[in-house]
Amino acid sequence: MALLELRGISSHYGNVQALKGVSLHVNEGELVTLLGANGAGKSTTLKTISGLIVPTEGEVLFEGKPIHRAGPEAIARLGISHVPEGRRIFPGLTVRENILLGASNRKGVPRKQLEKEADEKFEIFPEIRRFENALGWTLSGGQQQMLAVARGLMAEPKLLLLDEPSLGLAPLIVQNLFATIRDIRKRGVTILLVEQNANMALSVADRGYVLETGTLTVEGTPKELLGNEQVRAAYLGGHHG
Amino acid sequence: MQILFDNLQVLFQGLALGSIYSLVALGFVLIIRATNVVNFAQGDFAMLGAYAMVMFFTGLEWPYWLAFIASLVAMAIFGVIFNYGVYYPLRHRSFLPVIISTLGASIFLQNTVLAIFGPQPRPMDKVLAADGITVGGVFLDSQYLVILAVTMAMVLFTYVFFEHTLLGKKLQATSQDKDMARLLGIPVALMISITFIYSAVLGGLAGVLVGPILFVSIGMGSIIALKAFAATIIGGFGDVTGAIVGGLLLGVIESLAAYHISVPYKDAYAFLALFIFLLIRPSGIFGEKVSEKA
Repeated sequence: MALLELRGISSHYGNVQALKGVSLHVNEGELVTLLGANGAGKSTTLKTISGLIVPTEGEVLFEGKPIHRAGPEAIARLGISHVPEGRRIFPGLTVRENILLGASNRKGVPRKQLEKEADEKFEIFPEIRRFENALGWTLSGGQQQMLAVARGLMAEPKLLLLDEPSLGLAPLIVQNLFATIRDIRKRGVTILLVEQNANMALSVADRGYVLETGTLTVEGTPKELLGNEQVRAAYLGGHHG
Repeated sequence: MQILFDNLQVLFQGLALGSIYSLVALGFVLIIRATNVVNFAQGDFAMLGAYAMVMFFTGLEWPYWLAFIASLVAMAIFGVIFNYGVYYPLRHRSFLPVIISTLGASIFLQNTVLAIFGPQPRPMDKVLAADGITVGGVFLDSQYLVILAVTMAMVLFTYVFFEHTLLGKKLQATSQDKDMARLLGIPVALMISITFIYSAVLGGLAGVLVGPILFVSIGMGSIIALKAFAATIIGGFGDVTGAIVGGLLLGVIESLAAYHISVPYKDAYAFLALFIFLLIRPSGIFGEKVSEKA
């Protein structure tokens, strides 16, 4: 049984249809990437999974149970952690406070335990440790991205949804970030990764889907996708991955 | 020497009055931060608190402290009702319908109290039986002392609650980015309910404390709310520290100007101060701390 399954999902923003019958699945322990151009519906797919958008058609199944009407708070408590586009750091809270609140989906964990876990997150992202008492808005884009992922991990997610983690970051920082994503995956966290940077995403993924204007067009292993002429032309900028 | 004492006396009264504005302004700011809406019934929270005290203490003749606590509990319950009756049904709308809803609630509350208690202003006992103490040449009225002490305690409590507890941080997170708070599993509706409860209790407390000084009347909330609103703008719109400092400043300006210039224009000085601030420093003393979302 797949950990996450989307069956014929259609989503709308008002009258505009963003997703048209999307079906995909993510198995436990897998790192699956969702590729596509701007406006293809990648972020909408993640928002539909995490409950920010209620689909107009279709079902989202998590561990076999439908969750698409549960609402974001309940979905977070099931163990789905969504690190959204634009990082969405709480600007007026400190780095440490942002991380601590990542565990808000877990009930009854003592503060002391959470502080300890926050320290462990600083070991994964040592660059942000020295800013632990700085307010969120003072961080650079790359630091905010690390903070967003650290906060997402505090949820102890069974499924981590990452939306364009490489957006706006310098190439070296992207390399570091993807090394970390590989590490997180090794710890047994299932990941659904949305990316425009197809080369980078396919270098860490087990499988990938390509989304075009709200419809899934291609599915396959990184090797298959890298070998697909259409995919290469559209998302890999013609050079070899 | 007498001039110094007189001025200290006025300063003391100004600070006490300003404390009341601060408490109501704090309630304003907490709701603004949690919901992005100005609650125009905030002053009526003070009025309701005072009338709850009238009902429990004068009406039911409960002991003072029991009536005091019962009034605050009643305000807490009222905060929940207010949230679900006035704000919650409109939470997905823009700020305008919500503001109109709070205005409507204000009119409704004032007229309901009018229907029950009648138009006569009611007197209220002071918290302490003693008149006050004289330090140097300055007479410190016991009620004013209580107001200052309670305000300080509430400010301290608010600080510890918001800055040093996870619940306080969740409330802040909710006010900064509701969707992200939801994604983290923070129960946003509950957080907003807590904000309304806290805000209603703060307002009610201000009403109970100021009752013995101003008399308890239907309109007492309106003038306090106007001053408290001016205080939030002077302090920096949406800023917690600003609300407290703004309230105190306004109380002091008002009292000093009334003493030195003219008493009948007492209320006008607060708005003159607001006017000057809007011209010179429209962002208020503490400005906007949280940067706008990009």
